[in-house]
Amino acid sequence: MAEDVALRSKALWRFRLPEPVLGLLLVLPAVSLLVALTMYPVLYGVWISLFNKHSFFPEQTFIGLGNYVAILGDAEFWASVQRGAIYAVSTIVLQIVLGVAVAVLLDQRFPGRNILRAIVIFPYIVPTVVAVILWKWLLNSQFGLVNYLIESAGLSNQPISWMGRDWIMTSLILVSVWQFFPFVVIGVLARLQTIPGELYEAATVDGASAVQRFTNVTLPQLKSILFVIVLLRSIWMFTKFDTPWLMIQGGGAETYIRTLPVYTYQRTFAYYEAGLGSAMAVLMFLMLAVGAAIYFRLWRREEEL
Amino acid sequence: MSQAFRFLSVPGQAVIICALALLVFSAFPFAWMASTAFKPSHEIFATPPTLWPTTFTLENIERLFAETKFLTYFRNSVTVSLSAVGLTLIFSVPAAYSLTRFRFPGREQIAAVVLFTYMFAPVMIIVPFYILIRFLGLTNTHLGLVLAYTAFCLPFNLWLLRTFFQSIPIDIEQAALVDGANRFQAIIFVVLPLALPGVVATGIFTFILAWNDYIFARVLLSRDELKTLPVGIADLYNASVVDWGMIMAAGLLVLAPVLAVFVFIQKSLVAGWGAGGVKG
Repeated sequence: MAEDVALRSKALWRFRLPEPVLGLLLVLPAVSLLVALTMYPVLYGVWISLFNKHSFFPEQTFIGLGNYVAILGDAEFWASVQRGAIYAVSTIVLQIVLGVAVAVLLDQRFPGRNILRAIVIFPYIVPTVVAVILWKWLLNSQFGLVNYLIESAGLSNQPISWMGRDWIMTSLILVSVWQFFPFVVIGVLARLQTIPGELYEAATVDGASAVQRFTNVTLPQLKSILFVIVLLRSIWMFTKFDTPWLMIQGGGAETYIRTLPVYTYQRTFAYYEAGLGSAMAVLMFLMLAVGAAIYFRLWRREEEL
Repeated sequence: MSQAFRFLSVPGQAVIICALALLVFSAFPFAWMASTAFKPSHEIFATPPTLWPTTFTLENIERLFAETKFLTYFRNSVTVSLSAVGLTLIFSVPAAYSLTRFRFPGREQIAAVVLFTYMFAPVMIIVPFYILIRFLGLTNTHLGLVLAYTAFCLPFNLWLLRTFFQSIPIDIEQAALVDGANRFQAIIFVVLPLALPGVVATGIFTFILAWNDYIFARVLLSRDELKTLPVGIADLYNASVVDWGMIMAAGLLVLAPVLAVFVFIQKSLVAGWGAGGVKG
């Protein structure tokens, strides 16, 4: 009887079209869309990076690696790489430190924990434009609440110009960390919940202090998830465009946070140099690839030790 | 503090204090935005600032509706985001189902390529993408924008849906076939309902990405009446002397749908975190 059912079901599984054909047909629309709208533009971008090409007019002349030569000799390009690196590294470090600390906190038992978890995640899904404008209001030099609090606390007797040249990078980092650290919290918290409680009990029995339990039990368990988080956050922070770009708007301190993605955008859509902009995007991709390769290698060496 | 929390141990009190600090850090900016949105302009610039509006007013929202194209932007954002959700699901559900249920040559390679395209950031493809969309004559159309979001969300959605389909035992489908359903019926009535949480989660991720996006809308649209909210608000902010009350009111209204889907999303955000949930 059981065999009968198995046979019948097998017969029913047979569709008019052969299985591989049906499978391919179902996957084809999605793959074609990806090829047409993602893979093709990427390759086309590499191609036009070899041309002197205007962003709007169809005129273009082949100049080989001319764009690359021009970029590598452009001091502002290197300055933007440097600013981008400062921005990426500092926001990543702060996000990881704050994210892990908050995840450990949200793993404790206290009243209102679930609501607080939700509230902490919320800034991550808010439109960047709202996050930026909101912080510009809080940090407004004349009427902002932050300056009011600083001055009433007597920490400074003149208003701090948060969007001015001396502070704009700090402000940008603050807004970015506020907006993106929840990503670290989500990942680390999910992992923390799977660490068996016995590990902590055993460590406590062995006389480990709270700090020792964190460094000897928690951190090793978080290693693999932190590997992924650092990788993804590095890619996203290094290529982050909208936060610095929107921070720049309406202020005169633009050159102090002109990171590589912002500079790439400006060359393409303000100076209309599509070929040059594409070459910068290609270089950005290469830098990411090299960075990722080094990161993987370092990680593997760490694993072997 | 000391009275109410006396029953707690010292570490317990430390946890509560840290939790309160965290609450202020994450939530207070939004509370301040809401408070500003409902204050009349003289109170917005008052020193010392008032935490809660002493005169509660809707004039900022009224001015936003009367003097700007906010409602048009809002309608554009709703149209574009929902279309992107629909289109991504039409493309990704059959593909994800196929990647888990059929054996065909190149299946693993397709999955790998999908994951690889996930690594591209918008700023890296925006130049050639813009040229392509212009070649297709789709600049200044919502269709161009919808295509951009669909292509951009597809890798993650495929990846997430695949894990959901993988978790549905194939026996259930076979049982339905034994009971006389054809394959199509088995998918519609048996598999999809079981995969519904995954379908809803991917839909929400797409919605949020489309709702929040700035760069694609900035580059692909220039006509004011087509703009979506992020670009519309950014332009409102840049246009003249900043009307803080009105801008905060706009921000508050933009957040309303995000907050509404967030109530659904929180759990799946944690569950579907693996590949980055919402990219950003």
